[in-house]
Amino acid sequence: MFCSPWILGFLLLFAWPFVASLYWSLCRFDLINPPEFVGLENYRRLASEIGTDRGFGRALSNTLYFSLISVPLSVAVGVMLAVALSTKIKGQSVYRTLVFLPSVIPVVAASVLWLWLLDPECGMVNYLISWLGIPGQNWLNQSRSVISPESVGVLTNWFNGQPLKLFGSKDALILMTVWGVGNFVVIYLAALSDIPTALYEAAEIDGASALRKFWHVTIPMLSPVIFFNLVMGLIRSVQTFASIYVLSEGTGEPGGSLMMISLQLFLSAFADFEMGYASAMAWILFVLLLACTSLLFRTSRHWVHYRAAA
Amino acid sequence: MKTSSRPLTYFLLWLVSAIFSLPLILMLSGSLKSSEQLTRDPYRIWPEQWNWSNYLAALESMPFLSYLANTMVLCVGCVMGTTLSCAVVAYGLSRVQWRGQKWIFSLVVGTMLLPWHVTMIPRFVLISQLGLYNSFWAIIGPTLLGDAFFIFLLRQFFLTIPEQLFEAGRIDGLSHWGLFWKILLPLSRPALATVALFQFVQTWNDFGGPLLYLNDPKKFPLAYGLERFVSSYGDQTHLLLAAAVLFTLPIVVLFFLAQRTFIQGISTTGIKG
Repeated sequence: MFCSPWILGFLLLFAWPFVASLYWSLCRFDLINPPEFVGLENYRRLASEIGTDRGFGRALSNTLYFSLISVPLSVAVGVMLAVALSTKIKGQSVYRTLVFLPSVIPVVAASVLWLWLLDPECGMVNYLISWLGIPGQNWLNQSRSVISPESVGVLTNWFNGQPLKLFGSKDALILMTVWGVGNFVVIYLAALSDIPTALYEAAEIDGASALRKFWHVTIPMLSPVIFFNLVMGLIRSVQTFASIYVLSEGTGEPGGSLMMISLQLFLSAFADFEMGYASAMAWILFVLLLACTSLLFRTSRHWVHYRAAA
Repeated sequence: MKTSSRPLTYFLLWLVSAIFSLPLILMLSGSLKSSEQLTRDPYRIWPEQWNWSNYLAALESMPFLSYLANTMVLCVGCVMGTTLSCAVVAYGLSRVQWRGQKWIFSLVVGTMLLPWHVTMIPRFVLISQLGLYNSFWAIIGPTLLGDAFFIFLLRQFFLTIPEQLFEAGRIDGLSHWGLFWKILLPLSRPALATVALFQFVQTWNDFGGPLLYLNDPKKFPLAYGLERFVSSYGDQTHLLLAAAVLFTLPIVVLFFLAQRTFIQGISTTGIKG
């Protein structure tokens, strides 16, 4: 009886939508006329777009780029920050607060802020990297990203005196995402404080260096949490929507480089009213996400160390 | 760490914190600069003069107070809806024994893994069919039916309450509802506060919901209103930043007031997950 609100919610908000979207993915449906069964046509269309620079193909490769870079990067930066922030040092809580604070900033406000920070003309980011000798980047005005075959060409042209424009809009989005890594850091910090000091003492007696202690004590002890954050980070990254929408004003521009699956799906459904096509896209995304998650679970056996219950 | 690496650790921590907080400092300082200084000299942190009038101008260039009122209605509605519904469901999943309980609990956890993409279109159709399109109920309604993440969080907390207390309540003749209201809820204030806080922040920040379900500008909440503001005042950076600060400030204040709740909420759900 106590669970009845949730059961009702499950039926209305999950079970029925789940079945309906699976059925509609096999239909032509524009919200006004009743759905018309068309078999696998939507899926055929999605498949035909893979590998091309339009529709689902473009959205898929943009999403892959964003997730494959931002998720591991967030994990690496998060672990390193947590280790640094766990040293017993004066003002520790102040440093922790400053690193955590960006993650509570509302996405829309953060996106507005970064639109300005990443401005090629007057943005602070270009100003700061110029101190390091890196020329100003076009960030949100460039569709190409840093990890792409064309970057090799840009580098060779740079030696011939061409401007070095490596980073693009997706890299900007990744930068903004990593800035909000604070809540992952909190999880790592909690896990770090659970590591028994005896392990470090034992390692010290064995003469282990700081680096060895990090690789052979800290990382294995953190591995369950790292695994958890990898899975959650992956799920979260493919669902990123508000920041993409605000940064590109709902267009996925420049050059469609911010057209991720979530935005493409939203526009296909509510701008083009192709509900069938959008539903099919959602299902492909869901299956891909399931496959990636179960792959992570598979590999986790080899690197995740669960502590035996004490 | 050995003592020799101390200054280095200090320096690195200082540098990292500076990098993480710089955008926020710039947002604050930019919101106080004159439009002219912002273009001529965008990198100096200290404003030449403190233009508090930017805030007034930002308030006037969009219906800020109306957006704020809408956000507050949504926040209050969603917080009440979630706390109540999730507490009831979590009670049923932790303190009442019945067949199929384990099964339902794994379904609850399972829904957390389902991306919103799959359910978005049918939910939209359902909400329109119910005549809730362009109504706050489109956003508040679903919170009355529970949220997997919060149910999970509350259930974990409820399980830590000693069974003897419930035993004693039963001897005193309390029904299930009596146990729920008189024993469980008073003991669960910290967990309920975490849920309320997280739901508040989530609703305050929510952009997708209003984008999907609201189309009357009179009903826009702040998050959506601010985005509309970007499209129409994109070149007025000083006003944009002032509006962003006004939108962010309550959340930052809330964070400082309830820092402990925030941090504990994140770390417990993270680890228990």
